[in-house]
Amino acid sequence: MASLSEEVLLVLKKVRQRKQDGTLYLMAERIAWGPEGKDRFTVSHLYSDIRCQKISPDGKAKIQLQLVLHTGESSTFHFSNDSSALTDREAAKDLLQQLLPKFKKKANKELEEKNRMLQEDPVLFQLYKDLVVSQVISAEEFWANRMSTTNTENTLSDKKQDVGISAAFLADIRPQTDGCNGLRYNLTPDIIESIFRTYPAVQQKYGENVPHNLTEKEFWTRFFQSHYFHRDRISTGALDIFSECAKQDEKGNVTHLELYRYIRSGVLNVLTAEGLPKEKKIGGKPASTSNPNRTGKENSNSAIIKRFNHHSAMILAAGSRRGDAPNDQASETSSTDGNSRDSDLFQPPIKKVKLQEAIDYLDLQREDGPKTVALNLKKSDRYAHGPVPLESQKYTTSQDIINSITCIRHEMANYVPNLAQVLTSSAVSSAIAALSPGGVLMQTGTQQAINQMVPSEVQGELKHLYIAAGELLRHFWTCFPVNSPFLEEKVVKMRSNLERFQMTKLRPFQEKVQRQYLSANITGHLEEMLQTAYNKLHAWQTRRMMRKI
Amino acid sequence: MASEDELNLLVIVMDVNPIWWGQQAQRDMSESTECLDAVMVMGNSHMAMTTTNRLAVISSHFQDSHFLYPCKNWTGGDGAWDGTMDEAPYCGDGKYELLSVANNVVAEEMKRVMSTTEMKGNSTDTLLAGSLAKALCCILLQKIVTFFSAGQEMKSRILVIKTAEDCARQYMNFMNVIFAAQKQNILIDACVLDSDSGLLQQACDITGGLYLKIPQKIALAQYLLWVFLPDLEQRPQLVLPPPVHVDYRAACFCHRNLIEIGYVCSVCLSIFCNFSPICTTCETAFKIQLPQMMKSKKKKLKQSI
Repeated sequence: MASLSEEVLLVLKKVRQRKQDGTLYLMAERIAWGPEGKDRFTVSHLYSDIRCQKISPDGKAKIQLQLVLHTGESSTFHFSNDSSALTDREAAKDLLQQLLPKFKKKANKELEEKNRMLQEDPVLFQLYKDLVVSQVISAEEFWANRMSTTNTENTLSDKKQDVGISAAFLADIRPQTDGCNGLRYNLTPDIIESIFRTYPAVQQKYGENVPHNLTEKEFWTRFFQSHYFHRDRISTGALDIFSECAKQDEKGNVTHLELYRYIRSGVLNVLTAEGLPKEKKIGGKPASTSNPNRTGKENSNSAIIKRFNHHSAMILAAGSRRGDAPNDQASETSSTDGNSRDSDLFQPPIKKVKLQEAIDYLDLQREDGPKTVALNLKKSDRYAHGPVPLESQKYTTSQDIINSITCIRHEMANYVPNLAQVLTSSAVSSAIAALSPGGVLMQTGTQQAINQMVPSEVQGELKHLYIAAGELLRHFWTCFPVNSPFLEEKVVKMRSNLERFQMTKLRPFQEKVQRQYLSANITGHLEEMLQTAYNKLHAWQTRRMMRKI
Repeated sequence: MASEDELNLLVIVMDVNPIWWGQQAQRDMSESTECLDAVMVMGNSHMAMTTTNRLAVISSHFQDSHFLYPCKNWTGGDGAWDGTMDEAPYCGDGKYELLSVANNVVAEEMKRVMSTTEMKGNSTDTLLAGSLAKALCCILLQKIVTFFSAGQEMKSRILVIKTAEDCARQYMNFMNVIFAAQKQNILIDACVLDSDSGLLQQACDITGGLYLKIPQKIALAQYLLWVFLPDLEQRPQLVLPPPVHVDYRAACFCHRNLIEIGYVCSVCLSIFCNFSPICTTCETAFKIQLPQMMKSKKKKLKQSI
């Protein structure tokens, strides 16, 4: 206990516990306190045992730290160093704050996980009751196989879900009037994060200006004041730091449209022939180069629509950008440019594919029948007789055959149907006896319906026995081939488990069934499975001994 | 009870292999004609159950398969199914005319079949697969005719009375017939007089019919009436012989032994009991990964040294 082989994170001198002076040690996995002058720790608690920590309020004379354990006990440490008591205690408190959650989660998580699994799956619960509660198998072995599968599932699910950006995050800000002509905006870190993710240009500006030129508050005030944020965005002052953002967005808008056009490339080139009037072009042109006769209102409408489209596109792009390196801001801002560059490269193959799809019609193609391969048999008489066993044919000489034919011919020539005397009563009664229940021809019928002889509770118990036996046998058979000493021990242990199972569960059940319900042998198969397992183990052991010899 | 609108067609396929019957006749006199009588009793009973029941009898020979009833050779006109005879022979015992006509026709045809028996080729096997195929065709034709003329549904089943042994060469045809019958919901029942027939056991199992091997031929009529007269709807309400356990194991193509686990060629589906790198039926080459045996051998050598 006194060996400090663990990593010591913090040592605090002059900490009193139960009115004794001593030193407090915070290690990697536990917290310990030893009285002054002695080597041992009198108090040692694992972090996983500690439920929570409490500190004395700031105003009090005594500076104390209390640890409450899961069991309800508590230990109090009094920091009595004159100069640094408060800082000591703060240091201890901070370190514990960091460490406790790690350990707490681990212990609880496992237990919670186990409980959850048992509650969700009644079959598992029954298996647990059968095997662990009745001490056939230990709990560690039971959970050994199961926990590995659930851990991988959990890590998978952790990776999947990331919170996306709400599309209405800007609208949700909802400025409130401040009384006199001012507006108050409530910005939470979530909103700030959404803004940064959607508009990486703004994030860039933030990085450049805060905290060098502007405070955070000023930055956001300017942001909301800027016309960048407002809907019309008609005129932008030259001093506005966000004018660049506006220009970049504008550029982004154009590239989006160009992208759209490139994607529809092959088809569009055909359709942008001279004959078509300009208004009917599919690709369209950006609003900035449109007809100057358009009214101001149309301009502002198209500007709003453009901004909405841009806003949505940025949100979607932010969602898909998550996988990329978020630290590289330059790459993010150039990603929109990069799109246009990539689309240049991809233009020819995409065009070809589009052309091909537009030309091909499945109906007009010639129908090919399914491609078949002719079966080439060398011994085709095998096809005639099939997998039928060779039966001994009765050998008849040709003389026999001739005799038989003449005989029957003779007999049939004189045939007159005599239907009134087809049967004799003795023959009939023996036939009826053979066909009645219990008769010669009805023997196999009585073996059926064993499930009607045994009630459903017994059947249910048998099912549980099968599940439990199946679990044990699975553990047993996965040990083969025996490669390591661990598996050797496990195999022998499983054998003893199986024997114990047979003694405690199988035999009493069988006796009960036999006492009550005749000689229905419903546990025969289970016994057979167990016996096979024993035989295998025996064979393996003898082989091992032979090898050693 | 079957509704009045339903027609039931029973096709009796009788194995009249003269070699088998002749051998039986040489051993015990006058048994073959009694069996034919029993079959006629069965046919009469079936037709007597309801007026909408119909009958067909096919003889299965090693030369050919022949419809004993209804037959085109009957000079009394072609109204054999309806029983409308212009000049029905008077049989003297006041029997329902349809039954007496049927009996006479069957007897006449049977005599003719037997008298024209000639042993030409080597084959002495009954052409059972062919007879079953003819039975299926007859059933199908009748089904179409009754459906379009009278708008009635027709249920049908086949009763096979087998005497001689199975012919292995007819295996493929037999299986095809069985599956066709299963698709058409036609039962195949089997009454076996001499030796067990694996093919018929399979047929009965697949189509849902009854297979019965009779201990004594004398009481054939009793067995037929007891077991095979009730049709499909009535059978669950009766205590009938339980189904036979069918041995579905296939025989390997190399030794014709019955095996449970074997190797199957993926090209021609022929079954072998041992792995061979070339399939002997279709000559396809196969590779198989042999288990690694080298390491343990080395170990053993080391220890012995």
